[in-house]
Amino acid sequence: MSSSFFLDGKAIPFKEGQTVLQAAMSAGHYIPHLCWRPELEPHSSCRLCTVIISGKPFSSCTQPAMEGQNVECDTPELKAMRRAVTQLLFVEGNHYCPSCEESGGCKLQATAYYLGMQDNHFPHQFPVRVRDSSHPLVNLDRDRCIRCETCVRASRELDGKNVFAIHGRGIRSKLAVNSPTGLLKDSGISPEDMAVKLCPTGALTVKRVGFEFPIGQRIFDQESIATLELREYANQEAVHG
Amino acid sequence: MYPSLTIPVPDFLDSIPVEHRKDPHALLQILIQIQHAYHHVPKEAAKRLAEEMGVPLVRVQGLLSFYSFLSPEPQGDYVIHFSDNITDQMLGNRGLAAHLCQRLGVKLGETRKDGRVSVHFTSCTGMCDQGPAALVNYLPVTNLDQERIERIADLVNAQIPLQDWPPEFFTVKSQIRRSDVVFRKPIEPGEGIRASLERGGAFLAEWAEDLAPSDARKHHLERGGAETLKEIYRSELRGRGGAGFKTGIKWESVRDAKSSDHYVLCNADEGEPGTFKDRVLLTDYADMVFEGMTICGHAVGSKTGILYLRQEYWYMKEHLEKVLSRRREAGLLGKGILGTALDFDIELHFGAGAYICGMETAMIKSIEGRRGIPRRRWPLPVHQGYLRCPTVVNNVETFAAATVISAKGGAWFAHNGTGQSTGTKLFCVSGDCERPGIYEYPWGVSVHEVLRDCGALDAQGVQVGGPSGTMINTREFDRSACFEDLVGTGTLMIFGPQRDMFEAVKNFALFFQHESCGLCTPCRVGTTLLANYVRKFEKGCGSPVDLKEMQNISGLMKTMAHCGLGQTANHHITESIEKFPAIWKGRMKTTEFIPAFDLDGALEEARNLTGRTDPEAHLAPDHAPMEA
Ligand SMILES: Cc1cc2nc3c(=O)[nH]c(=O)nc-3n(C[C@H](O)[C@H](O)[C@H](O)COP(=O)(O)O)c2cc1C
Ligand code: SF4
Ligand code: SF4
Ligand code: FES
Ligand code: FES
Repeated sequence: MSSSFFLDGKAIPFKEGQTVLQAAMSAGHYIPHLCWRPELEPHSSCRLCTVIISGKPFSSCTQPAMEGQNVECDTPELKAMRRAVTQLLFVEGNHYCPSCEESGGCKLQATAYYLGMQDNHFPHQFPVRVRDSSHPLVNLDRDRCIRCETCVRASRELDGKNVFAIHGRGIRSKLAVNSPTGLLKDSGISPEDMAVKLCPTGALTVKRVGFEFPIGQRIFDQESIATLELREYANQEAVHG
Repeated sequence: MYPSLTIPVPDFLDSIPVEHRKDPHALLQILIQIQHAYHHVPKEAAKRLAEEMGVPLVRVQGLLSFYSFLSPEPQGDYVIHFSDNITDQMLGNRGLAAHLCQRLGVKLGETRKDGRVSVHFTSCTGMCDQGPAALVNYLPVTNLDQERIERIADLVNAQIPLQDWPPEFFTVKSQIRRSDVVFRKPIEPGEGIRASLERGGAFLAEWAEDLAPSDARKHHLERGGAETLKEIYRSELRGRGGAGFKTGIKWESVRDAKSSDHYVLCNADEGEPGTFKDRVLLTDYADMVFEGMTICGHAVGSKTGILYLRQEYWYMKEHLEKVLSRRREAGLLGKGILGTALDFDIELHFGAGAYICGMETAMIKSIEGRRGIPRRRWPLPVHQGYLRCPTVVNNVETFAAATVISAKGGAWFAHNGTGQSTGTKLFCVSGDCERPGIYEYPWGVSVHEVLRDCGALDAQGVQVGGPSGTMINTREFDRSACFEDLVGTGTLMIFGPQRDMFEAVKNFALFFQHESCGLCTPCRVGTTLLANYVRKFEKGCGSPVDLKEMQNISGLMKTMAHCGLGQTANHHITESIEKFPAIWKGRMKTTEFIPAFDLDGALEEARNLTGRTDPEAHLAPDHAPMEA
């Protein structure tokens, strides 16, 4: 039995238990997202995937798809708001993209391009955040952390390690490392961990491999984040069904 | 050192029952005990708990960094938290706090070098009708004035233990100024639950049906629960915690949800500044609240209720435990209530200082011993709530109303109020008026009527429903408090003609910045940007562009934030711009944009490095418009 809902007027089929975002991605419709990963529990924190259903906003990464519902997604208002939310992510941290080894491979940056973000618009906060370069192979640059908790979830759900957690509250919350010293070098992290691989920004990177590709040949020089994510999602579905 | 703070940490932990120490759900409750014993959570205690519970240390630290009343660093023998609601500020709390700090020789937010005392500000402590208030070692001190501050300074300097302080310092008054049909003649303990059980025939001498006695007992219990649920529907009761959700629908969802356990949670977080009705209900009518929870347990098939109390109400612990044990002795709680097949009991859980923990899914996480971060919206608590079991979450006042409905019937209840807001409501009145306190009115009462009754006819504005509610000016005083118009928690903070409404806006902006949980982008960053804009205006450097920006950010938060906190943490901005435009206009320097960034200030580091103090090392004054 196949059910469907309407995404900006287009019928989208879905399977029981799928979220709006999953169904849309399966059908080849990209909805911008930063904290959602197909292999992890959804988190609904970045809020980029917000859509309007019956006049009310919902994060599509957590909202179950329901028969016949009308979902507004690519309206000019929502696009502008997604852009603004991305700008908020830039101004609350310190993102020096030109000198960042993730530049060109960073999902935050790629999402900003996708959303047509031309500048940061809001006043920069210039927070003082502590970098953790203690580990020989893994670097944690909190300046670039968007607190999406992808690493927190990946370490717990995929690596079985619990290396990360969020500490503090509000604008002062920060990524914390589970180790006696609070430093990465004394934690169970390894560069092969999914926690490191899945970090969407340059916050968690593997050392000694920076700037692998020259400008022009980096991941997002080749294709947009929408194309890449849709392809990856389709591959994953083909494997896992 | 204060004697109670010197027990060796291992001994203290040993005194906590081992089954608690091994249960991660008890983590927050145990941390609160440790905090009270040592005025901080010593590292060795955190480490040992993590080991015994089998949770990562980083998780224990996560709680310490989330809850305002837990601290990883040592605090003074006396820890003083001044309540910093706008109503406290209007009564001069800032000056009193400064004076106390000066008398004690301690800086705000710090601990004195000898470890004797620390002084902090905290969000509203729920004593708005008898402020300015503070918490001293987690106990409320009310009606602070110059004289009390002098006394406190003397008592602290002389190291007098709290139990020898003048008892009147700790008096908390209920101040019910007006009662209507409900509180003129409150329900007697047992009346509501007896009626609920009676509806199913639980007390009949003979079983109506042809069933074995034990089946019949169950059957009668079931039927009573179903009938009581019908009464709740008939009453059209809506939640008193702010959102106004129909209680009948909520209860029925939980009743229908298949699961071996169901839970009844009572929300006594009462964090919305200016709100104190739950405090008064739990002080004077705790029976009605516990009974409402029991009735709910009957209706939805739950055996366990939990009352989640904010840390600020810790002082009520003993009183509430007494009421609970009295109810157990009277057969109104525990196994076989009033001799029927109904089992239900209630536990107390405490928060530790976080406004967000009043939000229902954050509260559930807090009760589970975690950081109070709202969960994703699905599944709903009625399907998967506390411990992933179907869970009712209702406000204190909602449960009290359920008791009234069970005793007197839904129709009787629905007789009062307006079309969509039935029954009566407790209003919390504070600020510039002659008679602050609790007022019971039928829903639909006009703001004007409340202002007249409490003696505040010269008010220039009222904040209805707390900072997350609505700010109204004199043109709107004929609006009425009900779900059709001014919704909310029934909180009225009144501002007299002498007040600068900007002070209220600033207080609210800083409150939300402090209380945002930090999960979602729009609220985490939005509350900070709004607070920074308010600070910019405070310095007289605002511009019309900034007002537009603030409205944009507000709109962004309304649509994009994850939970009610972020969605409403901008009302004070948009409404004050609309209704009190003068407070913003008067703080603009030009009609053009002035950057908040301070060019000259940014050179300070360079000046320090080079040791330059000469005027040439500064930008010309017109390039240095303001401090950032
Ligand atoms: C930020 C925030 C704080 C809240 N604080 C409280 C509170 O202190 N007490 C309360 O009863 N409800 C509070 N609520 C509402 C609860 O989420 C929930 O709707 C309510 O407890 C349900 O009970 P009711 O239906 O009886 O009102 C809060 C909601 C939000 C978003
Ligand atoms: S380190 Fe990366 S994955 Fe982890 S919270 Fe920060 S941005 Fe997200
Ligand atoms: S709106 Fe604010 S309080 Fe609510 S989840 Fe987002 S950050 Fe947390
Ligand atoms: S992807 Fe849905 S909120 Fe981040
Ligand atoms: S480019 Fe470095 S964080 Fe995005």
